[in-house]
Amino acid sequence: MSTLVIKDLHVEVGDKEILKGVNLTINGGEVHALMGPNGNGKSTLLSTIMGHPKYKVTQGTITFDGKDLLAMEVDERARAGLFLGMQYPQEIPGITNSDFLRAAMNSRRDTPISLFKFIRTLDKNIADLNMDENLAHRYLNEGFSGGEKKRNEILQMKLLEPSIALLDEIDSGLDIDALHVVSDAINSMRSDDFGCIMVSHYERMFELVKPTHVHILVSGRIVENGGYELVEKIDNEGYEWIKEKGIEIEEEDFNHGIILGTCGKKEQLNNE
Amino acid sequence: MNKYTLSSQFYIVLANNECLESHLPDRVCYHDGMISFSNLSPVEVQIVYLLDKHQSMDMSIEIDNQTEVSIIESRILNIDSKLNRKMLIKADAIVHLFGENDSLDGEINEEVHLLDNAQCQYGYAELSDGNFKGNYRYYLDGEGAEAKVRMAILSKMQEDKHYEVLIQHNKPHTYGQMDNYGVVKDEGKLVIDGIGTITKGQSGSSSHQNNRIMVFDEKCKASANPFLFIDEYDVKASHAAGVGKMDEEHLYYLQSRGLTKKQAMQLITYGYLRPVIEVIDNDMLKERFEKALLKVGE
Repeated sequence: MSTLVIKDLHVEVGDKEILKGVNLTINGGEVHALMGPNGNGKSTLLSTIMGHPKYKVTQGTITFDGKDLLAMEVDERARAGLFLGMQYPQEIPGITNSDFLRAAMNSRRDTPISLFKFIRTLDKNIADLNMDENLAHRYLNEGFSGGEKKRNEILQMKLLEPSIALLDEIDSGLDIDALHVVSDAINSMRSDDFGCIMVSHYERMFELVKPTHVHILVSGRIVENGGYELVEKIDNEGYEWIKEKGIEIEEEDFNHGIILGTCGKKEQLNNE
Repeated sequence: MNKYTLSSQFYIVLANNECLESHLPDRVCYHDGMISFSNLSPVEVQIVYLLDKHQSMDMSIEIDNQTEVSIIESRILNIDSKLNRKMLIKADAIVHLFGENDSLDGEINEEVHLLDNAQCQYGYAELSDGNFKGNYRYYLDGEGAEAKVRMAILSKMQEDKHYEVLIQHNKPHTYGQMDNYGVVKDEGKLVIDGIGTITKGQSGSSSHQNNRIMVFDEKCKASANPFLFIDEYDVKASHAAGVGKMDEEHLYYLQSRGLTKKQAMQLITYGYLRPVIEVIDNDMLKERFEKALLKVGE
């Protein structure tokens, strides 16, 4: 059973502090739902755990099974058992899915997987996830629809068998059938050897994959902890009630654009 | 002298203007610096060029009308050596070529003439060690002739490489396309000049080119120069050129799946250069190409 412990985590992007003291512990067997309005630090937290170079940790610690995670390279973190299912997976031309998946699987094995076993495992998972049969020969995420990309993230998670998975809005871009396929896949991995943090805005995702813990992240801090009842409350009431507790919510930078489809000049005059 | 590996059933090995060994199919002959193909059914032949220091060699290849052939050219040149290779592709012939370069240094000048409706597709794997100069010139001398050139170039350590690719349209309704891809690392230097020329009167012709160089390190020097010389109105032409770094987000994505930075860079480079190998379907060739690409991660 793995344990990920985050203590007093402060993170900056550029000169802006995004996370302002996050504390969180995830054990194997637990599924943590991370909720909160956009632009308050959810993706930042997951990307920082994975080690994206853009995010600078200025204070605090992250340990994974007692080891200092922040001292490890991105690939070392992955081989130690972390997995990040990304919100916007990269498209990489020229690299086939099968070459990539095999390299990723072999990266955590002492002896390379046999071609026969690899193909059998891959084919079975492609069928389970209801994906394109030609997927193995297509270039990595290139020309994939939003839903295909997300399923490809789940495919990778299944093949790499992480001990802690971080899933960043894995349900966005999925239609209802695909959502069932993906949530079945996540549920099939649930065991004492698998822990998970899921970011999502939607109750339907957490209805299908029931979290054991729910956290609300606002303005770079976790302001509420609880169980499934928090998901229901947010689904019914939004986040307004948090403001009433005297907590400020970070608004996403938003340029009020003008829709030229109607009448640009009129909109402009209205804004003035 | 460098060693060579044979990977086709049929082959000819030419060392400093002499034939060292050969096994050629029916109706494919070598005589006095000239290899001529008039085979009736498609064949694959490997031609190995071996040149010692300060040597030069002149070679000609002639492909007969309506002949279909795949050629693997293994070019193994040494310091200050020079290979001049001419090729004539006659009407309606179809030629696929793959060129591997195992040279230590040297210069190659190629001149290819295509007659009516002849088709030529060449994939150049330029992964040699040492400096190199390549001039590859294609002349579309027959109506409807078509030349497609792909290059994958690696310049590393303190290598200085310069490639010039020309496709010149001398007849109407001709088609030329080149895709030149380069990778530069350490203190390597690479210049790619792509030239598309459509002379007056060659209406209905198309000339396209794409030159891209990926740069790994601070001390690399790279330039990709596209040239288009068009002297006719009714044509299609395009060019693109770019020099840039490897995408950091691509690296991060691969590393987040457990690949080391070196493995990730190798995989990205392989994906970037691999289109060159798709010209000829030969597993041994692919294996050698992949092995040669390991130099990227060294």
